[in-house]
Amino acid sequence: MTSQLHLNVNILNAGVFGGSWRFPGTDPLASYTIEHYTSIARKAEAAKLDAVFLADGPSLDPSTTHRTGNNLEPTTVLARVAAQTERIGLVATLSSSYNDPVELARRLGDLDHVSGGRFGWNVVTTAGPVAAANFGRDGEPDHGLRYRRAARFVEQVVASWAERDRHVSPQGRPVVVQAGGSSDGKRLASRVGEVIFSAEQDIEKAAAFRRELRAGAAEFGRDPDELVVLPGLSTVLGSTEAEAAARRELLDEVLPDAYARGRLAGQLGFDLDGLDDDRPIPAHLLRDPDAAGGSQTFYRVVKDIIDRENPTLRQLLKKLSGGGGHRIVVGTPEQVADDIERWYRHGAADGFNVMPDVLPSGFDDFADQLVPELQRRGLFRTEYEGTTLRDHLGLGLPGAPTGVWEHGALEAAR
Amino acid sequence: MSIPILVGLAVGEGDLVPLAEASEVAAAAQAAGVTALRLLDSLGGRPAVDPSVVAGYLAGRHGDLGYVVDVPTSHNAPYNTARRVLSLDRAGAGRVGVALRAGGGDEVSDGSARSAPDVPVDERWAEYAEVLTRLWESFPRAALVGDQERAIVVDDTLVRRIDHVSPAYRVAGPLDGPSSVQGRPVLVAADVDVVGWPAVAASADVVVVERPFSRGADDALTAALAVAGRRRDEVALIGRAEVDVVDGDAAALTHELLGWLDADRLDGLELVPGGGARGVLATVRALVPLLDARPTSTTLRAALRLPETAGVPA
Repeated sequence: MTSQLHLNVNILNAGVFGGSWRFPGTDPLASYTIEHYTSIARKAEAAKLDAVFLADGPSLDPSTTHRTGNNLEPTTVLARVAAQTERIGLVATLSSSYNDPVELARRLGDLDHVSGGRFGWNVVTTAGPVAAANFGRDGEPDHGLRYRRAARFVEQVVASWAERDRHVSPQGRPVVVQAGGSSDGKRLASRVGEVIFSAEQDIEKAAAFRRELRAGAAEFGRDPDELVVLPGLSTVLGSTEAEAAARRELLDEVLPDAYARGRLAGQLGFDLDGLDDDRPIPAHLLRDPDAAGGSQTFYRVVKDIIDRENPTLRQLLKKLSGGGGHRIVVGTPEQVADDIERWYRHGAADGFNVMPDVLPSGFDDFADQLVPELQRRGLFRTEYEGTTLRDHLGLGLPGAPTGVWEHGALEAAR
Repeated sequence: MSIPILVGLAVGEGDLVPLAEASEVAAAAQAAGVTALRLLDSLGGRPAVDPSVVAGYLAGRHGDLGYVVDVPTSHNAPYNTARRVLSLDRAGAGRVGVALRAGGGDEVSDGSARSAPDVPVDERWAEYAEVLTRLWESFPRAALVGDQERAIVVDDTLVRRIDHVSPAYRVAGPLDGPSSVQGRPVLVAADVDVVGWPAVAASADVVVVERPFSRGADDALTAALAVAGRRRDEVALIGRAEVDVVDGDAAALTHELLGWLDADRLDGLELVPGGGARGVLATVRALVPLLDARPTSTTLRAALRLPETAGVPA
């Protein structure tokens, strides 16, 4: 753990909530323009954040009928951001499932070079038949196979970067970022992840997750301090507690019901039609997370909430607010700073992947009000010291990982 | 009358143009009225920095200029290419094109159980070009509604899957973002010797022919377009030539290039300067103004005098 915490901002289209795009005073289609991303990135750099982060997937999500979604390829966005910024890190999500490793290694390595060593790659596997059909498949391979392919893919890409003798990067090679709370995901993270995104609602579970990853990394011969664990954090800020609470309520009011239900159904893997809103979801419908198909991480988060709080369906929808299961913190900048500090000092996080409630207004509040409070407490930098993403994250340049995947299992994955 | 001028540029180390100088080139090109920089994947056997990365970067500083990016079919699934090029184009307000280079397949498409990886290179190019053009039309701009009151972001009745099925590629679509303000990004065919005139005539907006092979190209293109049910004015025929302005006489070279343009009935020129950054800058500053280049002031399609909203032939 470095002496100060790390912060990314997730420029998640209109904001992390399902109703963000409908929030009063928000341009509903701003996130379909490039200026939305470049202006937030410049603001993030002025606030000295470690990086901007772009989530992404190679398909049109059906939920975009009622909610904004990804719509610009992330390396093209970050190449433009690189031209308009100097120091801030640039992290993009690109799928190991639906990219060619030779091409991806070249393009990402070149983006790292062009940006002056500021790039990080968030490795994901891609779930769902919609994406699969864009690449000649009827459905995705099962979870285990997706992760075996990912392991091979990452090893190949990182080895290619380590061998580059031209267009090299000041940081050696891109940072590998990895999310994924499934068992396979955690194993991959321990093996190759340098920044680990997580979705944790509870401080003790988050601390245990961080300890587990660090121990796992040590077992693979890695220095645990070469991992930076960043739970997601959705922020709802107000100048008073009441104002923040009102903002949260308003976000719920503008949440399109059809979107929220569709999203939860997707996360759980079954239709919600016919279920009683004022009763908990019947237990027999909820499978073991390790047996879940799509995204095990978000299924797990939702199931944990259900196990812990036994909410009615209506309460569960409200709690998630169409937000995907990351922890939501509501309050004044001082209150949210207290929460951030508490998690950080407890060892539950090395920092946070911040997902503002509404973009850009929620991030303006974060940068203008909350960051200075963290700086005042000595928890966050007031100036960039280095120039690369590795510098900002306090990461060195370890040797490229080898033996990440077991040969022989991959042919079946095709 | 002004003519479309492209300048071919490979960014990278060694003999190529370093990034900092490439930015200087883009600024000079914009000032000189160059229609577009064509970002090459390699030059003289030396791999360049990825063209789509360079385009995204340069457009972030010099946005009143067209950019054409070379992308091979090799190692690039068509959905990814369509998405990446359209993203550059949307960020660039309709000033982007792609030179789709003939090549092989990619690990993702070839790995699909029903694909046939041994598709001949010309057929593969034709299939790939069709996928691109159809994907670029799958999400019309009118579908992006953003109606806060009715809680509708996208009118999904206007968005259509393409459900493309062909030997090398199966792509369902649609894309996740709206179409270009110029209708579609410009599709450039630069390998007609490999791909053949029929495939080019079916899909291309621009055909680039190397100087030694330009005589007769206009006739061949016209005939192929007729078969495809398209008009000659729907496609721009661009002659490509290496130029050396540093050691040459710009005025004489101008005269010679324009003579070639007239003789072979070309619609525009792609200049490929040697001599690294110095050569490119000399070309842009000394030669381009003499050629009366047509800048991309609105869209690349308009600067190339192509129809703004071209329909894809059925």
